[in-house]
Amino acid sequence: MHILIVEDEPIIRKELRILLENALYQVTVLEEFDSVAEQVMLQMPDLVLLDLNLPDAAGFDICTEIRKQSEVPVIFLTGRTDSMDELTGMLKGGDDYITKPYQASILLARIAAVLKRTRTSDTKESTVLTCHGVQLDLARTCLKFGEKCVDLSKNELKILHYLFRHEGEVISRLDLIEYLWDNQVFIDDNTLSVNVTRIREKLKSIGVTGLIETKRGMGYRV
Amino acid sequence: MRLLDFLKDKFMLILLHVFCMCAAGIFLHITGYSSSDFILIEIFWAFIVCVWLLVTYIQRHHYFRRVEQTLDQLDQRYLLGEMLPDSYRLEDKLYREMIRKSNKSVIERIHQIEDEKKDYREYIESWVHEIKTPITSIALICENRRKDNEEEFCAIELENQKIENYVDMTLYYARSDKVYKDYMISETNLQEVVYKVLAKNRGYLIRNQVQAEVDCPDLVYTDKKWIAFILNQMILNSVKYRENALMLKIYTTKQTQGVWLMLEDNGTGIGENDLTRIFEKGFTGSNGRSHQRATGMGLYLCRKLCQKLGIEIWAESAVGEGTRMTLDFPISSYLSKL
Repeated sequence: MHILIVEDEPIIRKELRILLENALYQVTVLEEFDSVAEQVMLQMPDLVLLDLNLPDAAGFDICTEIRKQSEVPVIFLTGRTDSMDELTGMLKGGDDYITKPYQASILLARIAAVLKRTRTSDTKESTVLTCHGVQLDLARTCLKFGEKCVDLSKNELKILHYLFRHEGEVISRLDLIEYLWDNQVFIDDNTLSVNVTRIREKLKSIGVTGLIETKRGMGYRV
Repeated sequence: MRLLDFLKDKFMLILLHVFCMCAAGIFLHITGYSSSDFILIEIFWAFIVCVWLLVTYIQRHHYFRRVEQTLDQLDQRYLLGEMLPDSYRLEDKLYREMIRKSNKSVIERIHQIEDEKKDYREYIESWVHEIKTPITSIALICENRRKDNEEEFCAIELENQKIENYVDMTLYYARSDKVYKDYMISETNLQEVVYKVLAKNRGYLIRNQVQAEVDCPDLVYTDKKWIAFILNQMILNSVKYRENALMLKIYTTKQTQGVWLMLEDNGTGIGENDLTRIFEKGFTGSNGRSHQRATGMGLYLCRKLCQKLGIEIWAESAVGEGTRMTLDFPISSYLSKL
């Protein structure tokens, strides 16, 4: 995925680039803003992050220019929070409107959402994850091992989903809690322990032991 | 204007007439008119004076009633000078001219102050938008280097978020002004708004051992951004005044007249004496003094913004058990408020 950043503040530009590159996007940064629309056509990005307050031109006009030639998704980044601005942004053909200061996780989530929405051909994530012979069925919210099957609660499902997706890695408790908060499960450290204990009991009931390792002081590993 | 007051006001005139009547009576008596004649003259004179006084009273009464009515109907009372009813009397004309001049200077002064206020507000707003760029830079720098030094960069990020919150308060304070209208009423999914607010404060809440249960399926008509700000203040308050591990319950209930959004915590609670005053500007209460520095602005702003959105806000609390804040979104009356 190729993302084009149009932002005049050098530090934000640099940090955005690091952030997006860490998230495995290919990033191009514009440093001249007099011909943004042409640059967009030249670079053919999958998504444009467009700051609204540029020194030479208004972001809205640039978006109009881009829209004349291309349907590339555009996300506005701005420090302004007026409702009218947001509305104008949408009317000018923007796909999303993110106000500063944005949190990295939220920014990434919204970029992913816009990309997902605009790329219809995207292959869907498989609904069954397998790890050491244990199957996690996301659609039916249950765990399977051999013939045995056990139902999971919403919280347990989300914890396992994250662990299964990062098989072999040590996941710190904080990372896990942050992931859960990003997925609308708002629990604290103690409740996480309780949930993990419950998962272990359920695993035991279908004959699996030692699937989730506790790394003292570090976190969990599947 | 009462008759008695009117007569008191005309006391000198009445005295003059009485004096003249006496003088005329004495004069007629000396010049040899019969007493029945001059009594008739005196009665007739008194009658004319009474009629004249009465007519004048009715006229004046009528005039001032009209002035009072105009005053009552006026939206801005200082505009009275322009609206005074016509009168043939010299005094009325002179007064009218003077009032008009005085009002004109008042109006000019008001305009000047309004302009200054507007300039100031616009400056605050642009300042807030400017300051958000460096805040964003700091947040991104911290995020990108979190892996290098988890503890320190997280600490900086949390402080940065506090700055952001204070800056937001400034912005909304500037916007809570009467004439300012930056809100867009739309169908709002409260669940999404709550999720957004929780996500925004994720780092801070997790580090403070907060748990939250959210169940807000009801839709309301309001401004998303304003309500997010209000919720943000309420949640941060809960965290500030928590006792042990904080459990937040955020849920909606349908009422006949609207939707209630409740935020329940198990924190310190608010004393009965303080409860009625927490929405006052600058009020910090015993909790505010014993806990962290309280500005006494958060809840004040909440109520002010709520009033503008037509939302009721109130708090119930038991010391040591917790607090429940309720936002009442009216369903039927929101259209009439627009």
